[in-house]
Amino acid sequence: MENEFVFSIGPVVIATAVITTWGIMLVISVIAWLTTRHLEMLPGKLQTTVEGIVAAIDEAISAVAPEHGRLILPFIATLWLFLIIANLIGLIPGLHSPTRDLSVTSALAILVFFSVHWFGIKTQGLKNYLHHYLSPSPILLPFHIISELTRTLALAIRLFGNIMSLEMAAMLVLLVAGFLAPIPILMLHIIEALVQAYIFGMLALIYVAGAIQSQHLNPPE
Amino acid sequence: MEFNLSTFVFEIINFLILIWILQRLFYKPLLEVIAKRKRFIDQSLSEAKNLKLQAEQQCSLYENRQKLWDQEKQSAITALHRQLEAERKAHLEKLNADLEQERQKANVLLLKQQRELQQQSEKQALLNGAKFAGMLLQQSAGPELEARLFTMLMDNLVTLPEACKLCLTMFGTKKSVPVKITSAYPLPVEMRLQLEQKLDALINSQINFQYHQNNALIAGLRMDIGAWVLNANLQHELIGFTEIGYESD
Repeated sequence: MENEFVFSIGPVVIATAVITTWGIMLVISVIAWLTTRHLEMLPGKLQTTVEGIVAAIDEAISAVAPEHGRLILPFIATLWLFLIIANLIGLIPGLHSPTRDLSVTSALAILVFFSVHWFGIKTQGLKNYLHHYLSPSPILLPFHIISELTRTLALAIRLFGNIMSLEMAAMLVLLVAGFLAPIPILMLHIIEALVQAYIFGMLALIYVAGAIQSQHLNPPE
Repeated sequence: MEFNLSTFVFEIINFLILIWILQRLFYKPLLEVIAKRKRFIDQSLSEAKNLKLQAEQQCSLYENRQKLWDQEKQSAITALHRQLEAERKAHLEKLNADLEQERQKANVLLLKQQRELQQQSEKQALLNGAKFAGMLLQQSAGPELEARLFTMLMDNLVTLPEACKLCLTMFGTKKSVPVKITSAYPLPVEMRLQLEQKLDALINSQINFQYHQNNALIAGLRMDIGAWVLNANLQHELIGFTEIGYESD
């Protein structure tokens, strides 16, 4: 499964995943704009639905990071919403999930990696944040660094591997079994896509919350 | 499984842009309206609590007022009952007094009626007695009875009271004194002579004797000397019984 490139402008190559991502961004933005145009105190069905989604995400984040829930909500919520749509978009004939591209999952993992440090430094300050790498003993500093790198790599590989293998399995079943047989596989695809989006977002939330609350977990002596 | 740097960079930028867009268009307005609604709900709850508190206070106040009203009502009812009892007692006393008065009046009236009835009965008894005595005496009357009555008259003329004797003496100043002698039976000559001698002894004037017979006397005599009348007959005695009955009224 090679990456499909649409066009290139000099050294900049525009891949199919990027185009799909733009499409997803457009759809999400339009839906967001449409659903929040006329917000009212007495909500309708649509407003109730979107408020329910946001409230559920906010509650999940507040359960892990109660003091800084509103700070990390845009990042984590966007991850969840984007990954759900990105993972499920492969069900539409002719389209492929952007998350089956390692470059996309790596970009998201890198964003998680940097956001962890960004939110950690923002909430605790640079000195306090870096202090937790030396606790409980400075000897553990290399292990902390290795942990940071490997979990970021694991994030990228896990999502990429699951979605790529899911689409590949679905394609193979479709080729071998005919027209109606892939339906259970497609249902499995839906579940797997939702689970992978949830896992990626939840892990990102835990990493960010861990960075934010590291001061509480390892207070300086 | 190729890694493309352009895609990597584009995805980073795309995601950051998506975060920015959603933050502006989605999360912020939604969270604001949720927070606004939460504030509204909290405010409503607070107002509801205040209203509930006020309502409870009002309820307590009205309950206290209700208790006071009940107490006042009970006091008023008690006072009313007391007043009614006093009124009832006064009316009852007045009624008893009126009844007693009426009872006394009725007793007096009854006594009066009884007395009248008794008097009437007595009078009727006397009348009946006189009537029956008259009937009996009419059947049993005769010359013998009349002779005894004549004897009694003669005795009475001897034992007249002084006032009567003085009255007969006063007739002596007149020239002639008419004496009307009425008897139930014809008076015999001997008796007439005895009577005339007796009267001549009592009256110092000439006496004009007139003899009459009247069966209504039943038995006995009646002497009319001027205005003075001396009765020695049964009719007069029976009339005396009747007069006793009338006098008792």
